[in-house]
Amino acid sequence: MDVEQDGKPAKPLIAAAAARAATAVPGVARLEPGFTGLLAAAARSLHRQVTGVDPVSTDGVRVSFEDGGARVEVDVVVSGRDPAADVGRAVQRAVARAVREDTGVTPAAVVVKILDIAT
Amino acid sequence: MEVTAHDGYELPCGRDVEQVWRRLDAVDAGLADAHELECPHCRTAGEGLRRLRRVTGELVAEEVAPPAGLSGRIMAAVRAEVRRREMIPLPTDEPGAVEVSDQAVASVLRFAADTVPGVRARRCRVRRAADGIEVRLSVAVSAHGFAAVRLEDVRARVLAAARSRIGVRPVRLDLVVDDLYDA
Repeated sequence: MDVEQDGKPAKPLIAAAAARAATAVPGVARLEPGFTGLLAAAARSLHRQVTGVDPVSTDGVRVSFEDGGARVEVDVVVSGRDPAADVGRAVQRAVARAVREDTGVTPAAVVVKILDIAT
Repeated sequence: MEVTAHDGYELPCGRDVEQVWRRLDAVDAGLADAHELECPHCRTAGEGLRRLRRVTGELVAEEVAPPAGLSGRIMAAVRAEVRRREMIPLPTDEPGAVEVSDQAVASVLRFAADTVPGVRARRCRVRRAADGIEVRLSVAVSAHGFAAVRLEDVRARVLAAARSRIGVRPVRLDLVVDDLYDA
């Protein structure tokens, strides 16, 4: 994994910080990998078997750089106890803080997509 | 398949990869010769080939019996992709956005309507509006003992659920009784 690309921390580092922070927010049941995550999980399993190295899971998180700023998208399932909007805002704040502390990058945007609410 | 040394990939020590491959089982059985025990090239190649064999073996095995939980994970992924299609924005002051799947909102609202005795939620359509959401909810009501007052209970619970469980303002709620059920 490259630590930096063009002077920016590598996307996997940002995604890993975001995934860890989002999962820890009260009211978040889990991250939702979707199709992309399922493929990534299969690739990760293969990677682990071939190299013996276990790459970090970033399922449910996408990172892109646009107009010089980092955009972090997080797909979550919330537990349904607290209002979804409150949990979503808490995830935005937690992800922005973790990415800033772990990588030095302040995300220009954190987009939280709540794909399901446990009932 | 018999492969001559000429066709194989020769290691720096002079042996070739095919030879290492053919000797894997013998080496694993403790029958390695002195060179195989000492040579770093042969040992590295052997280790790589073992991993490759393990992975390909497992991939072949998966063809026969998918790992437990795989179909569940695939279905969860399918549901997530469907839910991703229509997203409703939720209020936030942070940079970026918070969005919720319209279907996730609809399930919460249907569940709220179901808690009213004598009422069964049916279809629920949620759309984004300028300043909140518009909801159209159809319900079936019990043919016995149904009183109009229950519709107001449904309305109150659905509105409360939208505010307290989603955190969004319903600017319009159309309740439609489109069926009776016999119970």
